[in-house]
Amino acid sequence: MTQEIKTVPFTYEALSQLEMKEGILELQIGPAHAGSGHMRILAWVEGDTVVKVDPDVGFVHRGVEKLSEDRLYIKAIPIVERPSLVDTVNANLGYVIALERLLGLEPPPRAQYIRVITAEISRIMSHLYGIAIYGIFMGSSTVFMWAVADREPFIDLLQELTGARITYSHIIPGGVRWDLPKGFADKVEVALRYLENRMKDYEKVWINNPVVMARSVGVGKLSSQDAIRLGVVGPNLRASGVKYDVRKNDPYAAYADFDFEVPTFKEGDSYSRLLIRVEEIKQSMSIIRQALKRLPEGKVIYEDYYKRMSPLMKEIYDKTGRVKFTLMLTSLSPPKGEAISRVEGGRGEMFYYLVSDGGKNPYRFRLVTPSFRNLPYFTHVMPGHKLADIPVIYGSIDYFPPEADR
Amino acid sequence: MMTFLYFIPNSWLPLLESAFYALIFPGFVAILLLAFFIIWFERKAAARVQMRYGPLWVSKRTGGIIQLLADMIRFSFQEFIVPQGADFIPFVFLPGLLLAFSVLPTVFIPIGPDYSHIFPSSYTLLLAVAFTLVIPVYLVVLGWAADNKFSFIGALREAYLLISYEVPFILAVASAFLLYGTLDLVKIVGIQESTLPGIILNPIAAIVYIIAVIRATGRVPYDIVEADSELVFGPYTEYSSLMFGFVMGVPYIELYSYSLLFSVLFLSGWAPVTGIGFLGGLILPGIVTFVKAVIVMCFLVFLRAVYPRYKLDKAVRAGWSWVFYLALISLLLSAFVSRVLW
Amino acid sequence: MSDQKTPRKSALGEVKGHIDALATGFKYFVDPHRMTLDYPAEAMELPKNYRGFFRLIDEKCIGCSLCEIVCPSNAIVMMQLPVAQPPAPKAGAQGSQQAGAQPAPRPAPRVKKRPLVDWGMCIFCYFCVDVCPTEAFEPSNIHDLSYFEESEYRPTFEGFLKLPESPSRNSRKVVARLDEKNGIRYEEKGDKE
Repeated sequence: MTQEIKTVPFTYEALSQLEMKEGILELQIGPAHAGSGHMRILAWVEGDTVVKVDPDVGFVHRGVEKLSEDRLYIKAIPIVERPSLVDTVNANLGYVIALERLLGLEPPPRAQYIRVITAEISRIMSHLYGIAIYGIFMGSSTVFMWAVADREPFIDLLQELTGARITYSHIIPGGVRWDLPKGFADKVEVALRYLENRMKDYEKVWINNPVVMARSVGVGKLSSQDAIRLGVVGPNLRASGVKYDVRKNDPYAAYADFDFEVPTFKEGDSYSRLLIRVEEIKQSMSIIRQALKRLPEGKVIYEDYYKRMSPLMKEIYDKTGRVKFTLMLTSLSPPKGEAISRVEGGRGEMFYYLVSDGGKNPYRFRLVTPSFRNLPYFTHVMPGHKLADIPVIYGSIDYFPPEADR
Repeated sequence: MMTFLYFIPNSWLPLLESAFYALIFPGFVAILLLAFFIIWFERKAAARVQMRYGPLWVSKRTGGIIQLLADMIRFSFQEFIVPQGADFIPFVFLPGLLLAFSVLPTVFIPIGPDYSHIFPSSYTLLLAVAFTLVIPVYLVVLGWAADNKFSFIGALREAYLLISYEVPFILAVASAFLLYGTLDLVKIVGIQESTLPGIILNPIAAIVYIIAVIRATGRVPYDIVEADSELVFGPYTEYSSLMFGFVMGVPYIELYSYSLLFSVLFLSGWAPVTGIGFLGGLILPGIVTFVKAVIVMCFLVFLRAVYPRYKLDKAVRAGWSWVFYLALISLLLSAFVSRVLW
Repeated sequence: MSDQKTPRKSALGEVKGHIDALATGFKYFVDPHRMTLDYPAEAMELPKNYRGFFRLIDEKCIGCSLCEIVCPSNAIVMMQLPVAQPPAPKAGAQGSQQAGAQPAPRPAPRVKKRPLVDWGMCIFCYFCVDVCPTEAFEPSNIHDLSYFEESEYRPTFEGFLKLPESPSRNSRKVVARLDEKNGIRYEEKGDKE
């Protein structure tokens, strides 16, 4: 669907000339617009057809990378969570894996399993949020409300585990901060069954709704070759038929232990991008169930850190499963070197690059987020569609401006 | 007739009746109260489906039914901003005109059998339909006057949809005419009373009518003109203050006149109740007609809780293809039914 | 599972789709699963480990500044507080009694270091609570705070020694319960516990 794009010069005189002579209308969708999010979409339309789209990102740039370079290694954990607030566990996990590779330590298996469980719960929440945004962009407030409300059971679960609703900061180098509380597995099972029940209603009201199909089937098509060429990631890439998932292709945490599928779709249109999220929620449920069933016993923190704890800290850990920070954990100074890590976040592959000069702060930290890599959908897929398709394509790629802007 | 008003000269009574009809029921006051109710119902119904409560805190005991009043008070104290490039006169006066024209069709729609001496005409169906179809033209002008690209696009969308859905709408009304063989709405109800309601005689015409009404009043899934995630608020984007309240209320009042017409055309109007005189011939049957119209309205606003928004080109295509074909089929069906029945 | 094709619908399937959607919507209209919390009137009873406001236990704090070091948002500042010196004559009397036995004790420090949290900057990551070697922070699950004036909000050491008062402390407490069918329901606290 990529087609010849007219180059439009960026001076006001040229723009006004375009509007006068060629009948091309410039629309500024955003940054204060119901269908833009924290960004501006400059769209040029000829009649009802979009000629060119220029996403103007950076409205919510918060300097995560530089903020992290200014601080101790451990202090970056809450900061890397901030860009993608609906998928905090995966963001946290990627950073910690990079840090662990720098430090050269391997967390115990129980911690790895707990990481997988929380990461998959986070993925479910992220996908539900994606469905919600898709719904509200298409004008259905019901699906928006439903999907946001159905995140609540999972938020409640992680709240019970970590004590926070969204910014968990649960994963630290060497393990996790809290062990699973008693009866956690049963509560997860109830939540999963609830979502399974609800998914039937989603199918009726939303997924099989003829209006939804009329609006999204065949809209925003991206072929698999183009998807690879443009470098899009995550569920959007898989919806275009490319079987690529970091969890399978480069397993991290404990993902190698689990048996799950990587669903793909052939079409690569907005509707398959919706369906792939539903399919991935099902896969995530299966992973969570497997992980809870096979959860190994043992510590949730790296053995060496446990040894260095004071008696009071050990007592607290043994009694409540809460990991106190030792001085060593607080002031990590990894040896000179660099490390990368990749995790499959809810919206796609998150990439972390960490350079240490042997000091207490990271020398360089680089974070590449999936939303930023999905930007080609604006520039290459939207042109040629109708004006009304802009929010549909935007919603279907689950684009999250704060995540792209970091 | 109206013996309780003994102190009023007899010659005034028809005038009083007309005034009552236009101003209180089913005219202005009823429309105002109904607009309150239907907006409240729309929000409450959507909220029930969406796991929420909807408006609640303004008068909690009644479930927030006077929320709209609070909103209107707030609107009326806002500043009314006229954009610099706007065409002043149309921009300022069209909302009021729109409101007036959306109320007008109710004058021609009878609510009781004794209506014919208030508005004696045998072309009431034609008049009502003609006046409902005036509104979109004003909307296009209004969108153009605001000097906003989103308003402009919204106005253009309105124009496109207007053309594509007016034809099926008129065909649906025409098949009703063909079915009953008269343009007098009072007689139409009389025919339905003696046989069957129109929705059973010609269900296809009723479906086409409903689809066209959803389109004309901008209900979901055809709220393409206002499409908030695409066009902010369509032709009404630049309005603020009380004017915004006006333009927000117009679709609901339109919805009321369309539903009233639907209940007369297809739901046999005041069917079980009939009589003579002011009370028996207008008020009691009027309440029945009114309740039927309200039920239709409730169904139409409930669609918000189920559907997303349709797309312009698909809607236009649907308007010219299957809705149009359905309308033609309904014409044939009407011809057939009317030949069989009478 | 993999390489699925998105389904296509026939005209009859479309009609069924519309009916299904309307029926499901109507089902929820008749039997709504509301999950709104009527917040100021009723408040959720948060779990014990909820990361809310915390207070400093002055006796336990050793002034090691670890919390200041580990705070990601730099919300903690170590304050230098004057230590109330023991009254001079009493100290003198004690000193004279033990003068011969021991060398003169080191003079007590004039100041002590104590942390102070600016709640406006705090992100409730609880790194400080977890890093404290003596458990000198007492956590609580109070998550809401409201003031009438800015001066009340300004962080003070005395204020940090006690937990803030939650504006919802007198509300009806409810617990979120999840069941498979109806999702989250807020129930009165204490009917199952």
